Amino acid sequence: MTEILQQIINGIAIGGVYVLIALGLTIVFGILGIAHFAHGSVSMFGGYLTFFLAAQHGIPLALAITIALITGMVLGVLIELLAYRPVRHANHINAFIVALGLTMMVEGANLQFFGAEQIVIPTGATRVFSIGGVTLPELRLYVILAAAALIAAMTIFVEKTKTGQAIRAVAENRDAAILMGINVQMIPLVVFAISTALGVAAGVMVGSLFAIAPGVGEGLVVKGFAVLILGGLGSIPGAVVGGIVLGVTEALAAGFISSAYKDVIAFVVMIAVLLLRPQGLMGRA
Amino acid sequence: MMGKSLLTCSVAALLLGTGSLAAQETLKIGVADALTGGAAVYGLPQANSVEMAADEINAAGGISVGDETYMLDVIVYDDKANPTEATNAVRKLIDRDGVKYILGFCCSGATGAIASFIGYEDAVMLVGNAAERSITTQGLTNLVRTRPPADYTGAAAGAFVARQGHKRVAVLGALETSFYASYVEAFEEEFAKSGGEVIAHEVFASKDRDMSPQLTKIRAMDPDALLVVGYVEPAAFAYRQSTELGMDIPRYGFTSGSEEQFLRVATTEQMEGVWDLRPTELTLQSTTDAGLAYHEHYLERFGDAPSPSSPYAYDQAWALKHAIEAAGSVDDTEAVAAALRDLKIFPEAVMQYRPVNGKMFDDNGQAYTANGAFQWQDGHWVFVEELPSDPEAYSEFLSSLN
Amino acid sequence: MLEIQSLRTGYGPIEVVHGIDMTVREGECVALIGANGAGKSSTLKTICGLLPARSGQIRFDEQDITNRKGHAIVKAGITMCPEGRQVFPGMTVMQNLRLGAYARKGADLDQMLDMFPILRERAGQAAGTLSGGEQEMLAIARALMSQPRLCIFDEPSLGLAPKIVAEVAETIARIKATGMTILLVEQNSLMALRLADRAYLFEAGEIVLEGTGAELQTHPEVVKAYLGH
Repeated sequence: MTEILQQIINGIAIGGVYVLIALGLTIVFGILGIAHFAHGSVSMFGGYLTFFLAAQHGIPLALAITIALITGMVLGVLIELLAYRPVRHANHINAFIVALGLTMMVEGANLQFFGAEQIVIPTGATRVFSIGGVTLPELRLYVILAAAALIAAMTIFVEKTKTGQAIRAVAENRDAAILMGINVQMIPLVVFAISTALGVAAGVMVGSLFAIAPGVGEGLVVKGFAVLILGGLGSIPGAVVGGIVLGVTEALAAGFISSAYKDVIAFVVMIAVLLLRPQGLMGRA
Repeated sequence: MMGKSLLTCSVAALLLGTGSLAAQETLKIGVADALTGGAAVYGLPQANSVEMAADEINAAGGISVGDETYMLDVIVYDDKANPTEATNAVRKLIDRDGVKYILGFCCSGATGAIASFIGYEDAVMLVGNAAERSITTQGLTNLVRTRPPADYTGAAAGAFVARQGHKRVAVLGALETSFYASYVEAFEEEFAKSGGEVIAHEVFASKDRDMSPQLTKIRAMDPDALLVVGYVEPAAFAYRQSTELGMDIPRYGFTSGSEEQFLRVATTEQMEGVWDLRPTELTLQSTTDAGLAYHEHYLERFGDAPSPSSPYAYDQAWALKHAIEAAGSVDDTEAVAAALRDLKIFPEAVMQYRPVNGKMFDDNGQAYTANGAFQWQDGHWVFVEELPSDPEAYSEFLSSLN
Repeated sequence: MLEIQSLRTGYGPIEVVHGIDMTVREGECVALIGANGAGKSSTLKTICGLLPARSGQIRFDEQDITNRKGHAIVKAGITMCPEGRQVFPGMTVMQNLRLGAYARKGADLDQMLDMFPILRERAGQAAGTLSGGEQEMLAIARALMSQPRLCIFDEPSLGLAPKIVAEVAETIARIKATGMTILLVEQNSLMALRLADRAYLFEAGEIVLEGTGAELQTHPEVVKAYLGH
């Protein structure tokens, strides 16, 4: 029992990272119908930047993360304006190619600026809390809390603010949104700013829990899309549920079946869910 | 008359020309190693150390063969520890650059690919850090290796851990990589001789950074000790995450990682008490004068401390120099290969080799070093004692696999 | 209030409206009738900025609004209740209504719910789960939420059961009674002409007839082609 609980706790922290990545992907997909493959690499850029500021220039971690988040927002806006907007009305394959090209560019930039060696963001959070044999490391607790706070903030933003409602409206029906007087040219900029900031947060989490190295972002974006499909394309609650399900399933699979097949088992679960619910866990039929 | 004198003149000029060149020839040697990618932590310092050794050999007067002196010129190619890239690199060295002596080789996958065809080439291959046993069990007379196979060390580690009084040990490692698997296999065999049992074989891949699920599973089995076997990065995360799961059992490992490499991932508190059971390699606390000089020169030249395994390649270059001089030829690779097998341990060697039948390399072309038990104490690897290793017995066993 | 001069518009290479002139005066209810594909909906879309005008001019409150962005036109006071209702299906009824007031100072939500009691009942429900008639009511209420100066209805009865069509007509009549300026496009010509003060008959992208609702109801051409007596 302790073991199962521990595995679930292990999986929730990872799931939180998946959720943040998937949220960023799902709002972009919902609004623009773009599979934003470069998201993982841009997220890792945020992690690298945090490391660069905090570990190499001695800037306090909280400040470094804040700078990285703001930089991420600006970067998101630029990506929308310079990369995706020009192909907005073209055939979908154009946006697809732009996304792939952008991934290579950002990966290349990361390699150029930050090198090929793995980096680990030092946090100093090394305490371990233990309740009845189940342990929760301080850092993982922070990751879970931060992810929960961001998910809550995102939900409140989308459900309760005017801009958030406008984003949902554009996602659900673009023409009708125009008739409501929503400036549909502005919304993608806001969406990319939020999406990239969430990605940067995920990048910082990956960089402090684990490590950032070339290729990590691409691996993460694949997981992010798996979560999207699992939870239902474009669905925010779907991204939350899908991310946690994927994280916990991976941990349980690694713990009780075999760690060698961790990734495979996660995808088997995804396919199984799709066979039973083709629209995903929270998607609309 | 006129014609004849011209001919004489040109013959004389030709003789003179070659004569003056003969005083100082160039011998090109090649290095194929991982300069980029995940294995660069092993490969790049090896390539550096070959260049450093070559400069030292040249400064000390080069390689003397008969009346001629050869200065070494090192050509380095990046093989990214990838078999295909390594094959391309070695083909380029042999076919295009005309190289006959190839050094480096940090990693087993790439090295195995080269070993599969080097027997047909007019060349000599000197393997460094690659630990896969089968590299020296194929009867390749033109191949030698400075690093002992992983299972030679694994057996010594098994005996050591048994001596600490543990009975049930859980293994977590890169068991899909065959030389790590062979370390564990030999460990298990030796450990079982004292009634010990390995109760778990959990696996991680070289890119994995989250070993919590495997460690949680191990924790539930309540073992006496943990053995972590694999590349530094995942191993460092395994040590860190074992403390995050509140596991306070003794932790042993086989990683050969440096202090800096571990501290990038884990804090010194999280590493406290961890054992590394590995070839002694370059350990400042226990090294010879040659080792201290190597460390100092490397640090001065490259600005970084040398990795503990990098002298495997440094020693290759010096072994090659002595073998060529003993063979009396730079062109006769067969003679040079034979001379390598006949070589006694030389004073420039940085690693602490244990001779077999008085020689540095055994009949398989395999060298043996001492194995050591190192423990992380207050932020440093501390050499505690030598592991109980038996090179003569292992050499016999290795020959039996041919 | 709304003046259209020589307006041409269309999709891609195909022009569907070939230079029309029409006006809507303050407080008036104007209907556009005609066959499918005659250019009525395209005209509406062009007014609302969803479709670019090729030439001609659209003036609203004495200002040229030709080819302004859709959201700017809403801000100026023109709201459309679109064909096929176009509610936001995943959002609740309340959220849909609030979006109606996105660009302008909104109407009183409570009053609106008094006017559409069924929406009060369904307030927390996702709009996609409502019946067709309820969705039409929601679309109308949502359009009114922006307190428009000109409210445009595009095919409000399309695809609804006859009983519901009557309800929709009654609702529009009530809105008209409040003094709202209305521009209405409707397949159901009889319903349109009964509601309208004036009407234009579209044929193949041109206006072929203009008159009061009553006049057109009895015009032989209209009777023959559109009222089906």
